Amino acid sequence: MCRCCYPPSCPTSMAGAGGGGNDVQWCFSQVKGAIDDDVAEADIISTVEFNHSGELLATGDKGGRVVIFQQETENKSQPQCRSEYNVYSTFQSHEPEFDYLKSLEIEEKINKIRWLPQKNAAQFLLSTNDKTIKLWKISERDKRPEGYNLKEEDGRYRDAATITTLRVPVFRPMDLMVEASPRRVFVNGHTYHINSISVNSDNETYLSADDLRINLWHLEITDRSFNVVDIKPANMEELTEVITATEFHPHQCNTFVYSSSKGTIRLCDMRASALCDKHSKLFEEPEDPSNRSFFSEIISSISDVKFSHNGRYMMTRDYLSVKIWDLNMENRPVETYQVHEYLRSKLCSLYENDCIFDKFECCWNGNDSVVMTGSYNNFFRMLDRSQRRDVTLEASRESCKPRQVLKPRRVCAGGKRKKDEISVDSLDFNKKILHTAWHPQENIIAVATTNNLYIFQEKMN
Amino acid sequence: MDMAKRIMALSISKLYSLRTQRGGLSLHRSLLLSMTMRAARDIYHAAQLLRDAEEEQVVPCAPDAAIEEPMEISKDSPQTLTPKEVAMKPQEPKETLEDDKENRCASERHSRKRCCKTAVEPDFLPLKKAKMDTDEEKQHLQGEVLRTNNGNSCRQAETLTAFPTNRAIVAC
Repeated sequence: MCRCCYPPSCPTSMAGAGGGGNDVQWCFSQVKGAIDDDVAEADIISTVEFNHSGELLATGDKGGRVVIFQQETENKSQPQCRSEYNVYSTFQSHEPEFDYLKSLEIEEKINKIRWLPQKNAAQFLLSTNDKTIKLWKISERDKRPEGYNLKEEDGRYRDAATITTLRVPVFRPMDLMVEASPRRVFVNGHTYHINSISVNSDNETYLSADDLRINLWHLEITDRSFNVVDIKPANMEELTEVITATEFHPHQCNTFVYSSSKGTIRLCDMRASALCDKHSKLFEEPEDPSNRSFFSEIISSISDVKFSHNGRYMMTRDYLSVKIWDLNMENRPVETYQVHEYLRSKLCSLYENDCIFDKFECCWNGNDSVVMTGSYNNFFRMLDRSQRRDVTLEASRESCKPRQVLKPRRVCAGGKRKKDEISVDSLDFNKKILHTAWHPQENIIAVATTNNLYIFQEKMN
Repeated sequence: MDMAKRIMALSISKLYSLRTQRGGLSLHRSLLLSMTMRAARDIYHAAQLLRDAEEEQVVPCAPDAAIEEPMEISKDSPQTLTPKEVAMKPQEPKETLEDDKENRCASERHSRKRCCKTAVEPDFLPLKKAKMDTDEEKQHLQGEVLRTNNGNSCRQAETLTAFPTNRAIVAC
């Protein structure tokens, strides 16, 4: 592989969600959010998640708000366009709080959103900040009762003396109203900052993880949770690693994994014991000694872990790479992809500007053939597992014409810069894509830049 | 050695700035910063020891030689140190970074309201503070609660001076 430019020459096409061998070209669909370069901190997107059908797309931001977009039903007259996502509901999920006992401010930033599988007409999602998890019910109201006997239409009570007739109130259609209401609030479960939540396949329980502990909750019970993992040492001076992410297996309700700041992943089986401090499997790759540096600890910290949809693999993201692990092989990943290897020589500068601590997420496509993750300069990477190809694309306002095909981007790490390549030193490290999501069935992706949400879709012929 | 020094300085300043971050102290971040700083400190001290050992060897053999032997690790001469770096430089090879931190704290303190020494503790503070020097109290401090500090607590800085750097996580 050519070392002076990333990625190596490759076509933009890759296997589509429908199966291997289909070539996919990505084109712009929509962008949400303000155009201003001056970004308000509250508007910074902090999480993105499709629901299980892909019809709804939720985003959370630093201001504690959740915005849900809904895919419109397809426009039959324009088959070239896939249906668009429009705002469905917006609500304030979390507010800033103050812990007076500890003199700590609790940020309202939404760290994670996870959808529950749909059981009835309403939709449910879990949203969490650093300390509190909330279960929200999102329901539609498209009719309202009219014709009360004792009340006027505006709600004022009628004078009883004026009532001379009796009528039965009836439901009449009204403009669709989407209501979000908090159904459960799960508080006081965590001493440290919650970094992830994961809904179980049993649809009754979920996990929440902070730096040192993982709790198991029942969706109906808010006043207690069960601690399943606790890595807090008796003496905090001996602390060497923290928990960075956790996820339930997509099918096995007894199995979950959690990743650590040391680059390890532990798989736990809740059938083996109630307390899962002792793992069932430990996934760890020995460090390459030639890559050892001051920053080895930091860049090996895993920022995200995701099971594949089929449950056979899991993917981890650390600062420079994405690794695919077979659940049956613990000693090394089956695949490793370099996301932006050209940054390895810049780690000191990235430490200085704090970018080395950025926590990138990763996601699978519907059939687990392609994975995606973000990078800097509003670049994001699509890594095709089946065809062993990768491509770098950019979420940019300059490529915002409807159905405009995204051109692959290339970064030149050294040597002579070719036309259309961008040099490493020209990358904008303030423009980072930390959060991405892939529609569970179709080739539609949601990519969050600092305060904008880009939706790209497969080019339709 | 130059790089190690730079990383140490960066790490310490980042650890300090973590305290004032909105949302409270991030355990993950402070752990990574501490580890990086420890690695840099170890290399810096090792290089320092090596240099001092070589200087000791050089002086008896050639009293009139003022030239430092070229070091593999370091190309620095003391004259190139900035004032900040001089404040960080340990007086003795064995001096821990804890004292450097104290010096640095003293030189860069900007928002603390009081000088945090046990001797000048006001007597209206809770009795509990008197037990802070015991092991039991240290355990309590290292307990679950992570405190942030707006510079109003004498206890905060007291723990800073009391604990060496590798306890930076819990001292925060």
